[in-house]
Amino acid sequence: MIEVEGLKISYGAAGRLIEAVNEVGFSIDSGDSLALIGPSGCGKTSILFAIAGLVKPDAGNLSIAGERVDGIRRDAALILQNAGLLPWKTVWENANMSLRLSHRYPAENAAAVLEELGLAEFRDRFPAELSEGMKRRVGIARALSISPSVMLMDEPLASLDAITQERIQNLFLELWKQRGFTMVFVTHDIEEAVFLGQRIIVLSKRPAQIKAVVENPQMGELDYRESKEFHRLVIELRAVMQR
Amino acid sequence: MKRSLYTIASIAILFLAWWGASLTLEFARGRPIIPDPWQALVEVGRHGEELGRHFIASAARLGISLVIATLVAVPFGLMVGHERRLDRLITPMIYITYPIPQVVLLPILFIIFGLGDSVRVALISLALFFQILISARGAAKGISEEHLASVLSAGANRFQIYRHVILPASLPAILTSMRVSIGLGMALLYLSETAPMRTTTGLGSFIAKHFFSLDIAFAGVITMAFLGLVLYILLDIVERIVCRWQYVQRRDRPRWPSRLYPNKIREQFLRKIHRTDREG
Repeated sequence: MIEVEGLKISYGAAGRLIEAVNEVGFSIDSGDSLALIGPSGCGKTSILFAIAGLVKPDAGNLSIAGERVDGIRRDAALILQNAGLLPWKTVWENANMSLRLSHRYPAENAAAVLEELGLAEFRDRFPAELSEGMKRRVGIARALSISPSVMLMDEPLASLDAITQERIQNLFLELWKQRGFTMVFVTHDIEEAVFLGQRIIVLSKRPAQIKAVVENPQMGELDYRESKEFHRLVIELRAVMQR
Repeated sequence: MKRSLYTIASIAILFLAWWGASLTLEFARGRPIIPDPWQALVEVGRHGEELGRHFIASAARLGISLVIATLVAVPFGLMVGHERRLDRLITPMIYITYPIPQVVLLPILFIIFGLGDSVRVALISLALFFQILISARGAAKGISEEHLASVLSAGANRFQIYRHVILPASLPAILTSMRVSIGLGMALLYLSETAPMRTTTGLGSFIAKHFFSLDIAFAGVITMAFLGLVLYILLDIVERIVCRWQYVQRRDRPRWPSRLYPNKIREQFLRKIHRTDREG
């Protein structure tokens, strides 16, 4: 379970302080999925980075599984916007990065994940040699290699073409169902939020505040995209966001 | 055409230009001013063994200086570039001390290092140190937040951040600055092998000794140019190895078509739109 309470985050030096997040609170049960959606630059990434332990909030409480978040957690994986791959490392080195940095898991883990995601034959290539979709999958492989119980994703599918986007959304859905991690993801794509989020939190412009919470209990199947409920929610969400 | 053919053509053009300049000057002044390349090459052959010895002495001085300067300047520059407070403290010092010509410090260097080869290496290292330091600092300042967040979120400690992000990201800039500093290094090498630090070994001393028989002096100049070429080639090889990621390309996509061949463009374009996107 992830609990966020009265979260406040600001950036910059005194005098030119920019408030990014103001009094945001929510909670999410283990194994659930949560979408944070809002306009660009609204501070949603800041919330995610705070949960990941990368950004220290000015005020508020943050806890994962009952433990206060103060720093990087070894059971939480973060997927960054452009997969966060290091261009000077091969697919294999990128996928195995989290394990290598923490000196704790066996390397077979990353190998197995690469195999599972169909990347095994590309292990010696550099990111520059891969398509955008494959880069994202390497990012996913890196995240999965630590067998996380919490998966945090910062616009993991931004700037992908529509078909690739759908394929990787499907992959996320399957991995989530299979592995049962708690998923918190940030997006500005309404359909993505409805497809992958059991609960969708709509954030306001900066400083981010919660505008609305939309429950989405029927998600979870690949054909959800074609259903009436899906389209109804998309329309509803669009209306909320435009308000 | 193969790359090596271009290299040969390049050197040939350079020699022809030299020859042209030599002939023009001779015609204009009515007597030979600079030797023509063939004479100089003949002298290279005639003094081959001697030049070889001098070449090795000079190469050792410059090479060792470059290595020392790099080994000191890179860690220091990366730290100054990445740690904001260190940057604020150190950078003004760099800006104040860098413009001082290192040669001015020679008397002090003599006192510290004596009159042997160590003072030559110290002088060259000192000058190259600043060039590489400033590049390394600049490169470390420009590290993308995304790459830093990527390793930080994986729990990287400070050393790992340098090892996995800052150093590899800065290597191309560092190697470029090493290339640039070969020019300055050569100038200081020559200086350090001639008066007031005259010695009996090194290409500088060879050139200075034959100052009044230009054919022979130019044989030394050619050898010096060759030393520079060898260093550049070595640095290129190093870059190909440590920055291999910079030399790769997406394999599933045609390279940017050459403007000269419209048919090629058309063909590649058609191939591109017909290709089904196999991957996701």
